[in-house]
Formats: sequence, C-alpha cells, structure tokens
Amino acid sequence: MASPSYSANKSHRNTIFVVDAEILRHEVYPGHQHILRVQAEDCARQARPGQFAHLTVDRQRPMRRPISIMRASPDQGWVDFLYKVAGEGTRLLSQRKAGETISVMGPIGKPFTVKEKKPLLIGGGVGMPPMICLAEALRRQVDVQPLVILGSEIPFPFDSKPSQLMLQGMPDGVIGGMPLLEDWGIASRLASLQGYPGCYEGYVTDLAKHWLEALSADQRAQVGVYACGPEPMLRAVVNLAREYQLPVQVSLEEFMACAVGGCAGCVVAVKAEQGVAMQRVCVDGPVFDGLRVY
Amino acid sequence: MSQPDPRLAQTFCGMSFASPLILLSGCVGFGEEYTRIEGFSNRDCGAICLKGTTAAPRSGNPPHRIYETSSGMLNAIGLQNPGVDHVIQNILPELDFNETRFIANVSGSTLEEYREVTRKFNDSPIDAIEVNISCPNVKAGGVTFGNDPDMSAKVVEACREVTAKPLIIKLSPNQTDIAGNAAGCIEAGADAFAVINTLMGMAIDIENRRPYIGNNQSGLSGPAIKPIALLKCHQVYQVSKAHDIPIIGQGGITNAVDAIEFLLAGASAVGIGTALFYDPLVLPKINQGILDYMHRHKIQCITELTGTLQLNSADSVLTGTGCSC
Ligand SMILES: Cc1cc2nc3c(=O)[nH]c(=O)nc-3n(C[C@H](O)[C@H](O)[C@H](O)COP(=O)(O)O)c2cc1C
Ligand code: FES
Repeated sequence: MASPSYSANKSHRNTIFVVDAEILRHEVYPGHQHILRVQAEDCARQARPGQFAHLTVDRQRPMRRPISIMRASPDQGWVDFLYKVAGEGTRLLSQRKAGETISVMGPIGKPFTVKEKKPLLIGGGVGMPPMICLAEALRRQVDVQPLVILGSEIPFPFDSKPSQLMLQGMPDGVIGGMPLLEDWGIASRLASLQGYPGCYEGYVTDLAKHWLEALSADQRAQVGVYACGPEPMLRAVVNLAREYQLPVQVSLEEFMACAVGGCAGCVVAVKAEQGVAMQRVCVDGPVFDGLRVY
Repeated sequence: MSQPDPRLAQTFCGMSFASPLILLSGCVGFGEEYTRIEGFSNRDCGAICLKGTTAAPRSGNPPHRIYETSSGMLNAIGLQNPGVDHVIQNILPELDFNETRFIANVSGSTLEEYREVTRKFNDSPIDAIEVNISCPNVKAGGVTFGNDPDMSAKVVEACREVTAKPLIIKLSPNQTDIAGNAAGCIEAGADAFAVINTLMGMAIDIENRRPYIGNNQSGLSGPAIKPIALLKCHQVYQVSKAHDIPIIGQGGITNAVDAIEFLLAGASAVGIGTALFYDPLVLPKINQGILDYMHRHKIQCITELTGTLQLNSADSVLTGTGCSC
C-alpha cells in the first residue's frame, strides 16, 4: 500500500500551482492531434521531464484531464502540451481557442531521473511529449548523448527531415528525424508500420534493437531506457530492457480525479519487496521503474 | 495565516469548526495531499475526514477505479488504506491539529472490525470518528450493513461502547427508509450524521462490452446526485432535529448556493468532495459565498441557517410516504 509520500518537514506543500491560463496557441495536426500552448508561469518554471498538468476542458465536465508536459519555457512562462482527441473530454478541450482561458494545475508527479551517458528515449503516439521534454532537459548536459526513437501510426505532428546526426546500426533508409530535436543536436529516428518516407517500417523496439546491437558491450553498459506510450509498446520496451539488462523508466497513464494523491483512483500495481503495492500514478508516478510494473 | 470569518464558526459535537465546510473521506487522502497545491489551506475548512480505514491494510480494487459521467463520477476504490495501526502511528503524528479538526473514517467487514478500529482511534489524538456503513465498493460490511436498519444500529452500538469521541454515522442513500434507519442509529448512540454517501451506479464501454470500472459497480458522486442528497438530508433532519443531532450534508456540492441549500434543508455543516477535483481552490470561494448570503439576509452566525427551510404545504413527500407522481 502506498503510504502518503510526504515528509515531516512538509516539503510537499505548495509545489503545484493552479492558474487560469490564457491559451496562446492551439494548433491542429492530422489524426486529431493538437498542440496547446498556455501561459502558466509557475508551472513553466517548475516543470521537470515526465511531469504532467491537470487541465479543465469545459465548465460542464466535472473532471479535469491529465496531460503530459511536452515543453516549458521558464523564461517566457509558457507550457506546451500535445494531445490526441480520445474521448469527450479531449474533444471539448480541442474546441478551446487562443485567447480563451483554461485552468492549469501543475506541474505534478515524479519526473524521470537520468544517470546514464547514453539514454535511449522511446515515445509512441501521445507518449512522445515526455520524451521531447526529457530530450530538451538533457540537451544542456555535457557528455550525455541521448537517442530519441519516436513511433506513430498516424502522421507525426511535425515534418520529419533527414537527420545530419549519424547513428550506428540504422537500417538503410532510416534517416528521418524530428527537426526540433535535430536543432538541439539530439539524434532522433522515427518508426511506423505505415511506410512513411524516412521512417523505419516496424516497431520502435525493433529499431532500438538495431541500435543496441551495433553498440560495443562498454557502450551498452551506459544505456538507460526511458519510455512513454501505449501499454503494448511499454511492455515491449520493458521486455527489451530485460533482454539487454538495461535500467528502464516508464511513464504511465490512468484516469485521474484529484491528481494530488487524495483519491487513490489512479493506481497501478507495482511489484514491491512484499508482494504487490497499488501506487498512485499521479504522485507516486507517473514515472515508474519499468521492471516493477510490467 | 488567515482564518475563515468568525461568523462561519460553530461548535459541532463539542468540536470547534472554523467553517461549515468539511473535506470528505476518500477525496483528500489522509489530510495532507491537497496541501501540495499553492493557495490551498487546511485552515479553510472546519474539518477533514480521512480516508476509510480498516483493521488490516487493504490494497483496494483493480483499475480502473474512477470514471467521469454526466455531471458526476463513478468510483470504486475499494477502501485502499494502510490499516488503522499505520494511520495512528505514522500518519496522525504528521498532521497539524492547529490547522483544522481531523475525523477518522471507520470501515469494516464485521461488527468486530468496526469496534476494533473505533477503539484504536479512541486512543488516538483524532477529533471524532465517522462510521462508514455506506461504502458501496466492498463485498462485506459497508453498504450491506448500512442498508439493513438492524445491522446499522448494531454497528453504531458496537462503536459507541468503545468511544466517547463524537460518533458520526455516515448513511447510505441506497436504502428505502433513510429516516427510519437514522432513528435506530440515534437510539444506538449516534452523535451526528453524514448524509449521504455515494449512490450505486455503473458505466459501460460499449466497444468492449465491459463496465469501465474494474469492480463493475461503483459509487456515483458529484452534482448529479445533489437533488437526491438534499432530500435525504432533509428526511434525516426530520428525525434528528428533535434530538439535537447535527448533520454533515453532502453529495454534489460545488458552490455556495449548493452549500446553503443543504444548510436550509437541515445540515449544520456541509461536505466537499468531488468538487475539489475540478477546483482545488474552491473552499475560500464557498466560504465567501456563504458570508455574502448571510450578509444579505442579516444573519450573524452560520448556525442560524440550519433547517430554516420553509416547506410548501404538501409535506408528505418528505417523509417518504407520499407520492410525487
Ligand atoms: C474517490 C472517492 C472515494 C471515496 N471514499 C470514501 C471512503 O473511503 N469513505 C467514505 O465514507 N466515503 C467515501 N467517499 C464518499 C464521499 O466521502 C462523499 O460522501 C461522496 O462522494 C458525496 O460527496 P461529493 O459528491 O461532494 O463527492 C468517496 C468518494 C469518492 C469520490
Ligand atoms: S488521481 Fe487521485 S490519487 Fe491520483
């Protein structure tokens, strides 16, 4: 059982901010994908990769929606989200226009913690945003060489470009990358079963395997895996990590009510020392040790 | 540290409540979770009901545990809690009793368990004990006790034997005669009532032909249940007022108007649960809204509002015997 994860000094207090945030931009991409930019200064300043915000979608809906933070600008105070319309709540959110306000509550949750020199970031579908957020944070770290592999079965919400950053082990023709990451000097490659040009035709995990196989044993010892995406993908990623004996952190999703640890509505079964513990995705996660959840 | 306006304060079963707003069990963990939010303060409520607690730890129901519905939500948490000993040893010492009153919420599968958990809380710094005989999400005990008037009274009696702290009985709306049940509970030693717990419900994913909720059935809360809750609250007030037994009215309250409706219907205090999920900073807004109303109606103290509802002449509907068709 998850005990409250606060300490006697009450350091958990005042770490999440609620603000009526102006929508600065709201762009639509194919496959009902949307990129939302809101002005939420405190959230932007405190956001760490893997965290999310809890957004109101409409006055008529009693519950908010948890959405991963894709980018945050501490200087300019904006926060970007990428989401796909998946139900009534996200459909209502998608109708909100620039200039309108929504309530943004964040940042929430335990972020990723990267210790390795060669982090492998894998994002599938709406699981891409936390990986982009993590990549942006790693960009500022010297000596760390991340690789980002993104997968999607609907058109990517950006125009892929041939990458100038060379990578070991890539099959012929797998050259497409995400321009934003490329600008940051971070290597990326794309995977899809849809046969998009420049993309690997197959699963993200198979592409990752090509890369891992091309590494020396020493190099491989420096790899840690970070992933977010649909459950079948996460399972495959964790199995891959097991096969190569790599540490793996995954970011999970669940329906949420409070998003502050109050309702225990968002739990996931986590293997613990004594059997299985039901932990709250909102505050005990959303980032968990992959080997403990799959 | 700002406190709610003194006109909102009252003494409830001997406890001083700074505000009529009570944070509801199961929505606010063990009292510290919402303080993560900047601008949220435990001082803005009269009391906090902690998560339902049982004798042994419970890991709760399988996911999904919650689902949004029209103007409400379903939940089937299954009373996940670390057990009464852990709560008393590790959680209560962390709470700041200067900020508000803390009320334990007791659950059990047997009479003996209710008694045991209550007895343990009696020997703790907790301010009061709320007995949950209305949880719809567990197989034994809970609502199966709460829907049976004899069992309800037995649970109250068992708990009363082992505590002198205020004993608040949380009634189920999933029963035919809530007022009759309340009368039995009063005789068995209840000090106050919480009215109502969630209503049993279900939602189905038609693509998979399965209920969304792992536990299949679940409890409905939020604005959708408010009219039902209000009537139940008023029905219980009909029997409790003669005994000076106060009510914490609850079920779908989201703003000051809702809160005032419950006070007029007979509640002395009102619960806020699901509304926090939408607006975690709602407490000071409701406090202010109630004050504005009191000012407009020249009311000096919140207690003057309780039960001041003026009924229309056909009052038979309210005892549950009349026909409204
Ligand atoms: C997620 C959730 C968990 C709950 N857990 C408990 C509980 O452990 N014990 C209890 O007595 N009531 C529990 N309840 C019921 C609430 O305390 C409250 O009585 C009910 O939700 C109606 O109020 P509301 O509409 O303002 O939420 C729970 C409600 C929700 C939504
Ligand atoms: S959503 Fe309430 S505990 Fe996570």
